[in-house]
Amino acid sequence: MSDRRTVTEDPALRESLSGLEASARLPATLPPAQFPIETLVPEVRQQTPAVGQRATRPDARLHGLGQTKYIDDLALPGMLHARIKRAGIAAARIVRIDTRAAEAMPGVMAVVTGRDVPVNSFGPSLQDQPVLADERVYHAGDGVAAVAAATDAIAAEALERIVVEYAPLPAVLDPFEAMREDAPRVHPPASNVYAHKIIRKGDVERALAEADRVFEGRWTTQMVEHVPIEPHAAIAAWDANGRLTVYSTLGRITLGRADIARTLALPVNRVQVIGTIVGGNFGGKNEISQEPVLALLAKKAGRPVKGVFTRGEEFYASTTRHPFFMDYKTGVGRDGRIRARKVRLVLDGGAYCSWSETTLGKACILATGPYRIEHVQVEAFAVYTNKTVAGAMRGFGAPQVCFAYESQMDEIAAALGIDPLEIRLANAFDEGAASPTGQTLESVVVKASLEQAAARFGWREPRS
Amino acid sequence: MRRRGRGIACMWYPIGFTVSANPSAATVKVNEDGTATLLTGTVETGQGSLTVLGQIAAEALGIATEDVHVVSADTDATPMDTGAIASRTTYVTGNAVKLAGERARAILFEAAAPMLGVKPEQLEARDRKIQVRGFPQRSVAIGEAARHALVGKGEPPIGTASFNPPTVAMDPETGQGKPFATYVYATQIAEVEVDDETGEVEVLRIVAAHDCGTPINPMLVEGQVEGGIAMGIGFALQEEILFDDDGRQINPNLTNYIMPTSLDMPEIEVDIVPSHDPTGPFGAKGVGEPTSVPTAAAIANAIYDAVGVRLTALPMTAERVLAAIKAKRAAQPQQLR
Amino acid sequence: MSALRITVNGREHVLSAPPETTLLALLREHLGLTGAKLGCDVGDCGACTVLVDGQAVNACLMLAAQADGRSVLTIEGLATPDGLHPLQEAFERHAALQCGFCGPGAILSAKALLDANPAPTGAEIRDALAGNLCRCTGYTKMITAVHAAAQALRGAGAEMPPLGLTASPSIPLPGGEKGGGLS
Repeated sequence: MSDRRTVTEDPALRESLSGLEASARLPATLPPAQFPIETLVPEVRQQTPAVGQRATRPDARLHGLGQTKYIDDLALPGMLHARIKRAGIAAARIVRIDTRAAEAMPGVMAVVTGRDVPVNSFGPSLQDQPVLADERVYHAGDGVAAVAAATDAIAAEALERIVVEYAPLPAVLDPFEAMREDAPRVHPPASNVYAHKIIRKGDVERALAEADRVFEGRWTTQMVEHVPIEPHAAIAAWDANGRLTVYSTLGRITLGRADIARTLALPVNRVQVIGTIVGGNFGGKNEISQEPVLALLAKKAGRPVKGVFTRGEEFYASTTRHPFFMDYKTGVGRDGRIRARKVRLVLDGGAYCSWSETTLGKACILATGPYRIEHVQVEAFAVYTNKTVAGAMRGFGAPQVCFAYESQMDEIAAALGIDPLEIRLANAFDEGAASPTGQTLESVVVKASLEQAAARFGWREPRS
Repeated sequence: MRRRGRGIACMWYPIGFTVSANPSAATVKVNEDGTATLLTGTVETGQGSLTVLGQIAAEALGIATEDVHVVSADTDATPMDTGAIASRTTYVTGNAVKLAGERARAILFEAAAPMLGVKPEQLEARDRKIQVRGFPQRSVAIGEAARHALVGKGEPPIGTASFNPPTVAMDPETGQGKPFATYVYATQIAEVEVDDETGEVEVLRIVAAHDCGTPINPMLVEGQVEGGIAMGIGFALQEEILFDDDGRQINPNLTNYIMPTSLDMPEIEVDIVPSHDPTGPFGAKGVGEPTSVPTAAAIANAIYDAVGVRLTALPMTAERVLAAIKAKRAAQPQQLR
Repeated sequence: MSALRITVNGREHVLSAPPETTLLALLREHLGLTGAKLGCDVGDCGACTVLVDGQAVNACLMLAAQADGRSVLTIEGLATPDGLHPLQEAFERHAALQCGFCGPGAILSAKALLDANPAPTGAEIRDALAGNLCRCTGYTKMITAVHAAAQALRGAGAEMPPLGLTASPSIPLPGGEKGGGLS
């Protein structure tokens, strides 16, 4: 570059500035240059018809230039930084929270606990999750207090000075143990089984009894994190009319706004939620998390407040994919046709319901696979444990049940000496097939996808 | 010794979700020059939904992708949307965008009809023109029609619409009902190499044939499939949140929670299965989530094909694969492969 | 507070910063260069990748003081008023970025590779990107884009024409006088 201007910031001038605010927010010495490259429009974006074009993305140009403003790239004047103290214990009664030492720290502008939350519960179907745990801790990632300070480092240090006294409770960590009558209740007095679903078609017991061969097996899947490269982030700012603006990485802002308004006991029209470009979601940013906390801190401090999850919080304080325990019993004819399939699913939901009902529903509907099966029974349970919350994650239970039904399909194929591709073609849905819920299926191309993938792969060619 | 195997898995996946209503609304505003602005309440989370929705709006108006500017994700300014969730955006929000575009287009047709001496029903919008169906040479530029509607007739070409997929509630006793408007289908085939001394699994190649209805933007569909497969490989082989006996996570960091890097990715070949859903916008369904659904099963089946052991628990780490190989050898020493 | 002399994107800065200040904090908070992202803060994810004297580093792990007297390139310094860097163009063209959060880091890792090795193999590209975690793309289109950019850089040097980009106006003007080709 030819332009070699020297921007000098005199150290002596810096030293003469005193106080936390000055060191917290050094003035930007050189804002990044941003210039339009507007004449460079890819041809494909100019073509009609628009549908079917491999159109490039205008937002991707900004990503590649580093010009996209994700939440953490935004700074409002006077903005504070928030941190949330996590319980670090799976089940306990909260005896006492002492925030005095944190509040006394220079640079700390506000501290809140669960008692400050007007309506301390939320959740997409069951409102069983506290914004900040107040009386009871349900899993180790629960927030128990939050701090807003001039810098992130001060906020982090202030968390260390908050004293929380816990009376530990027996934790339930295994979903089958949790299903026992004598198990400790995660949310007393409610049952640990908080969602249950059944799908029934035909007479599965009779068909299993009459089948040539019956295959049985259990498959299990693990808890998985979404790992968006951008952590959860939000900024809350109030105006003098008592109107709240929240910038958030939420993927569903309309419903998020309702949740934020509900927890803060505000009319919905006093809340504005702005979703900027989100740095990855995969289902993990589908519900509110720290937004009401930041709003309360901002209200108390009279300043905008930003919160960005640490990578650790991404794991233990956001949602995850449900671990599944899947029992399959499948009755098959000698010809490889599936006559009956009986499925039992147990979902480890962790501490709160979150999107478990949707996950349970989709898993049940999909559990028998894309196959014509006359006799079907699927029963599923979502169970509370004192572990990290399981919620929405790319597929809502579908990757789990697919692992089971497609693994068993290959077991059946191997036992009957049928090629794995052919047994699938023999059983797959056709156009107009009836689903396990009795729905008539249209635009069904499962066989076409099998044939297309097999041709591309060279499945039917002789193996080397 | 490294042994090669192949495995196939197919799947089906519904578009949208069932717990409650699932609506989206959209507004399309056509400007004086025939460009347009689309307002949507959805949030771009990386998948390219704003580009796809822009393409749908452009198609409804007969203009190009570049002609539509998309404004999103502000509850004060953009219409209600159930959100970027459950692979619903192309289908549900896309349908709302298409309907909104068609409403704006109807206003343009009303304005253009007298200019062309025909009835509005005889018009179509194509190639940035409004033309008489069957007589494409009788046309006006869309910008002219828009300007006439705006400054001539004083009727701004703005359309707003909403869409909620028609479903039938499921019977609580039997689960019978129509829980989703439509479904997509897919097959993935994995080729792997398994080291029978270490249990290590390397995925060499994945062929994926996915149905998404009409691909509104095939390049972005491929991107979804490739990314979904990466996530599927992590689910299959690497990723697991572990807990200590007290219910605290052991590995809440990217040092000890292993997700796929560029070194873990196989050759991926993506095929889009020809399909058209009459209920979707221009035949489209959706593609986001299903792309990571069959990967783990395809890899599990390929491991079985390679070394004859069936893993029933994910992730299929080298330790678990090796343990299964050893167990098999112990049970059937004479059948060593 | 120590005085630092750091060249960022071709411009020299004399700055003072507390000794614990990381290079990432210096860039993002002090210089307003937010292209490098904070993804994990411990050098696992690579979202903070910048080039220091041409080498890709995790700016979250490097202290600002360690960059004293050195030259730092961030994503903001890659394009010029004349246009995008071929890597940026190829990443856009091939849809190699989805959410984009890892993009600046991945592009700079790729630049360090291409500066040292103008004709990398697929394996070398994978190696170069191995420190940049991406959850959206499966890396496939990124690898394609790096190949394409390498080819473009080799083919025409700095004078290379934009990849499939045209300078035509996006829409005919009202009145149709410039829209003749369309009616």
